[in-house]
Formats: sequence, structure tokens, C-alpha cells
Amino acid sequence: MNIQGVFEMLNRMEADGLISRYAIGGAVAATFYLEPVSTLDVDVFIAFKAQPESIIISPHQIFDYLQKFGCKMEGEHVVISGWPVQFLPPTGPLIEEALARAVEVDIEGIPARVFTAEYLAAIALQTGRAKDKARLLQFIEANALDSSRFEEIVNRRGLGRQWQKFQQQFLGS
Amino acid sequence: MAEVSATVSWLMKFDINAIVKSKEAFRLRLAALPVAEKLRLLDAMRERAVTIRGANPTEPRGVREEPSRYGSQRREADE
Repeated sequence: MNIQGVFEMLNRMEADGLISRYAIGGAVAATFYLEPVSTLDVDVFIAFKAQPESIIISPHQIFDYLQKFGCKMEGEHVVISGWPVQFLPPTGPLIEEALARAVEVDIEGIPARVFTAEYLAAIALQTGRAKDKARLLQFIEANALDSSRFEEIVNRRGLGRQWQKFQQQFLGS
Repeated sequence: MAEVSATVSWLMKFDINAIVKSKEAFRLRLAALPVAEKLRLLDAMRERAVTIRGANPTEPRGVREEPSRYGSQRREADE
């Protein structure tokens, strides 16, 4: 079990042209900025290369590719290096932007692309489950956000009301 | 019995403010670790979760959590 093996595989998929860009999201990405928290899986957001002959690309291409490396399917996950990995397409403009602006971090010689703290916080605000709100609070309490950058994303992506409500509910402002 | 409570009160301070502060400090120390180290902790936590799941055959094998609805704007009614 080695999460760095997941990053190596993602880099290989990108180098082989299967995906045009990836970025780690969810709890694993949050670990880059906050204290580590136990998580069940790795959320990987991917952009596909545009192919003229087909608009929709089947996820089977990814699974077929990964099976060659001995990866197995487990529900909606593919198990890579002992970690269930969920591949997710960007489902809206916020995530598309987060993917485009994700940053590369060197982990002992292995590059890994992750969402920035500000995008992770904005996505948590938008997703809005209890655990997402808790994560957003963690970012704030740990002083891990560039607040002007975060608020610029929030306002541009129409999350102003949610942010106001969150502040009233949890920050007493 | 008196000796026990004397020892307990010597070892532990039930000052909630001190406890909260110490927890915050610990979380900040963890957050400040190098990323590679934090990722190794994630590996260790997952390893432990898998072991615990495997040790209880009556529990369902697949742990499920509410899936993320990335990109979905929550309605007021959901909140």
C-alpha cells in the first residue's frame, strides 16, 4: 500500500496520452495542506484528450489500460497500489477551473498534481455535506487559505450566498 | 482509592481549555509535517482500516460513505 504508486500511475497515464490532465482532489489533496485524515479512496479528476471520432470517451479505456498493470476493479473504484481510486470528470465550471489551475508538487522525486487549497475549500463549500463543511473549517482554522483568492473564486463562481451563510453559521460573522 | 485519585489528578488536568489548545497544537504540528510524511500516515491509516475491516467478517466488506456530489449546487432545502 503506497499512495505514491498512485501518483506514478497517474503520471504514466498522462505521459501515455490516455488523459490530458489529472489533479488529485478530496481528502488526499487536503492532506497536502492540512493534517492527514483517514480516507477511503483517492479522488482523481481527469480531463480527456479531445478525439475527433468520439465526443464521449468511455471509462473502459482507462480500466483496460490499468488492468494491464494488474489493477483491479472494486465497485466504482480501480485499485492502484492498494488504494481505491475514483476517476471523476469535471462536473462544472468550478471543478474545470480547479483542474486547469492545479499545482504540481514534488513528493520525493515523484510529481503529483493537486488542487490548490483555495479551490479545495471552494469545492467543499459548493458540495456542502457535513464533512465538507468540517473540511472548510479546517482550512480556515489552520490558516491554510489565501482569503482574497478564495473569496474571488467564491464570488466568481456564484457561491457568495453559501459563503455568507457558512460564515454566519460557523464563524459568527 | 485516595491515592489513585491523587495520581490521576497529578497526571491529568481536566482543564478543557488546555485540552483544546493542546489538540490544536498537535493538529498544527501534524499539518506542518512534510507532505511525503503525511502521505505515509495516510498509507498507515488505510492499512489499519483494511485490517480492522478484514477482522470482522460479519460486517459488510465494502465501507460506504455518502458519495460526493461534486459540482452540484445544494438547494436551500438540502441545508
